[in-house]
Amino acid sequence: MNIVVAMKQIPDLQQIRIRQRQPVLDGVPAALGIIDKNALEAAVLLKEEEGGQVIVLSAGNEEVEETVKEALAAGADQAFLVLDDSIENADGSLKAPILAEAIKKIDDVGLILFGEGSGDNYSGQLGSRVAELLGLPQVGYASRIQIQDSQAIITRSLEDGDELVKVTMPVVVSVLGDINEPRIPSVTQILKAGRKPKEVLELDELELDLSGLPQIKTLSNLAPETNRKQVKVGSVEELIQALKTEGVI
Amino acid sequence: MEEKFDAIIVGAGLAGLGAAYTLAQEGLEVLLLERGDYPGSKNVTGGRLYLNPIRDLFPDLWKKAPFERHITQEGVSVMAGARSLNISYRGEELEQEPYQSYSILRAKFDRWLSKQAERKGAMLVSRSRVDDLIIENGRVEGVYAGGDELRSQVVIACDGVLSMMAEKAGLRKPGSAKEFGVGYKEIIELDSALINDRFGLEGDEGAARLFMGEVTKGKFGGGFLYTNKESISLGIVVGIQDLMEGAPAVQAPVLLDEFKQRPEVARLIKGGETVEYSAHVIPEGGLKSLTKLSGDGILVAGDAAGFSMNIGVTVRGMEYAMASGYYAAQAVIQAKAREDFSAASLAAYESMLGESFVMKDFKNFSEAPEALDNHRIYTYYPELAGNIMRDMYNVPAGSKERLYPTVKKYLGLGELWPMFKDMRKVMKI
Amino acid sequence: MSEILGLKAKLGLDVFKHDKEPHIKIKPGMEKDPRLKRAVLVCPAGLYEEKEDGRVELTIDGCLECGTCRIACGTEVLEWYYPSGGAGVQFRFG
Repeated sequence: MNIVVAMKQIPDLQQIRIRQRQPVLDGVPAALGIIDKNALEAAVLLKEEEGGQVIVLSAGNEEVEETVKEALAAGADQAFLVLDDSIENADGSLKAPILAEAIKKIDDVGLILFGEGSGDNYSGQLGSRVAELLGLPQVGYASRIQIQDSQAIITRSLEDGDELVKVTMPVVVSVLGDINEPRIPSVTQILKAGRKPKEVLELDELELDLSGLPQIKTLSNLAPETNRKQVKVGSVEELIQALKTEGVI
Repeated sequence: MEEKFDAIIVGAGLAGLGAAYTLAQEGLEVLLLERGDYPGSKNVTGGRLYLNPIRDLFPDLWKKAPFERHITQEGVSVMAGARSLNISYRGEELEQEPYQSYSILRAKFDRWLSKQAERKGAMLVSRSRVDDLIIENGRVEGVYAGGDELRSQVVIACDGVLSMMAEKAGLRKPGSAKEFGVGYKEIIELDSALINDRFGLEGDEGAARLFMGEVTKGKFGGGFLYTNKESISLGIVVGIQDLMEGAPAVQAPVLLDEFKQRPEVARLIKGGETVEYSAHVIPEGGLKSLTKLSGDGILVAGDAAGFSMNIGVTVRGMEYAMASGYYAAQAVIQAKAREDFSAASLAAYESMLGESFVMKDFKNFSEAPEALDNHRIYTYYPELAGNIMRDMYNVPAGSKERLYPTVKKYLGLGELWPMFKDMRKVMKI
Repeated sequence: MSEILGLKAKLGLDVFKHDKEPHIKIKPGMEKDPRLKRAVLVCPAGLYEEKEDGRVELTIDGCLECGTCRIACGTEVLEWYYPSGGAGVQFRFG
């Protein structure tokens, strides 16, 4: 059985700076989604118990080929990539048919894992959309996954309790960030990652009709206005001190 | 045991990258380990790179390099408490290609250079800290990094000014504060058109300025300013010994704050926004403080070896780093051809460096650290120069004194003798 | 010495990635060692502070990894490592 883990390339969020309320993305290194790494770790742990292959699936620009190395180093066996510059900033409505189509090309898929939300937009839609397109069951908020024969037993952590569900595979599962602690690959693993197989498809090889998509348009993406600090001062000296501490004067 | 590399390079700064690029170009198996998120992410420069000494060592490299500006304007400000004497130099040779020097930002430059090395076939692993050397029977056989044991014919220690690798290999001791300075700076973002206006520049022309005197409160060191494309690098270099001894006791960050507030500087950076604050130790001990450059299975290059030099008018390190990386690589390439990686074979590094501008510079300027370690340079002379200028330009209400006596009163016999002694020292530079 | 004005805001401009453990520690029992007082003067990030009882305290957040304290104070009073791979300050300009 193969486990597919969908991972999104995002800018390293900590490296983004804000200039005039706009994020500066120029030169910001690419990384893989934070919760996506939990999904990968979950897949690798299952593989170590049950066998099979972990296939990381990602769609984005050409940089993905480099970025995905991190996943191959952290235990994925191979990568399946759909590359096109137009996909990089695409939303879920566009990404979902691409990923679904790609998954159809992978044999013997038992589990399809997603992070509960992406590291940048966190719209949390992709797992559900892909499941719908593939006609598969979907389980969200997973905090534990076990496999019993052809079934997956999944703990869902909800606000006021845990729910245990049993589902026949193949199934789409989106995992929570606290399901595990992703491993940090060693230098040797990183070096070996470069030699693991990668299947790369161009977007037009998928023969998808993406007309009319995306349906959601981002109008603006602004950093919040800085709130007033509401520092109470009792004297002129304190005011001057406070202003100096802030570097204003 | 897994594969064995020809060379493992610790640290992807300019020494490590220079070595990796050169080795990979010759088809050697090279692993470059960098502890930062990407090459350049832990590096700090003033900073400018002088190209002339290293242009031919990397002939294919420069065309697309992400330089900031080529420097066409040099300046020195001698700062007294309430006045300053400013010298500015422009020359046609600075305005003609090939340009002598460029301002650079390391996070951009090193990252770009690492891509070039990777394209040649070097294997780069970032976010990987080397913890220790593998030493067997007195020979360096590789490194330990994050629990991994990685083996190579040679380790090239390019791990920067503190070089724990060279320490572990017994090639150096931690060193004394007298041999090091600390540089710290702000990157101040400013519109490029505004930079050009303020400094009298056009297009990608850039300005460099050094500041001495009051800037460091009499401590060994000075201030610097370089224009980048859309920012200004503004900072201070100060001797650690002087700084830690106090007299006067002043915290390092305060020096930079006061420097920024000097009217001469404040108007240059006005309206700019600080976007980064960085700091790094600089080796400044000169020839006497260089480490042993090679051992059994290990070579040391760049700041790790002590290859950085302050001669007052220039502080240089990056060319020495790239060149020493290059020669270390050449030594490994020769050793590989001879199939002899013994200490004697690797010592070819030292003889190649000895023939190069690197060691020649260090020998030429071996007296510089001592000559510059003179507090009068940072207090007495700036005040003197300021006072002479003040009196020369002063037009009082009454009659003005003749110029010669105006100057002469500052240069009595009692003053001239210590000046002569200082001069003799400075003439050794 | 008191907090240096505006310094925290300046350090706040840099990217710092979390490390599991502080990479520089004052060796136990050395808190009042006179060599540590040098760090209060030399640290460009102002991370060393002398308390009223003469102890010197180090706050590791905001460390620029410049190495000045290692040179000034020495490894008899400081346990000094670089942060683990990918942790610590990451310069975007340098």
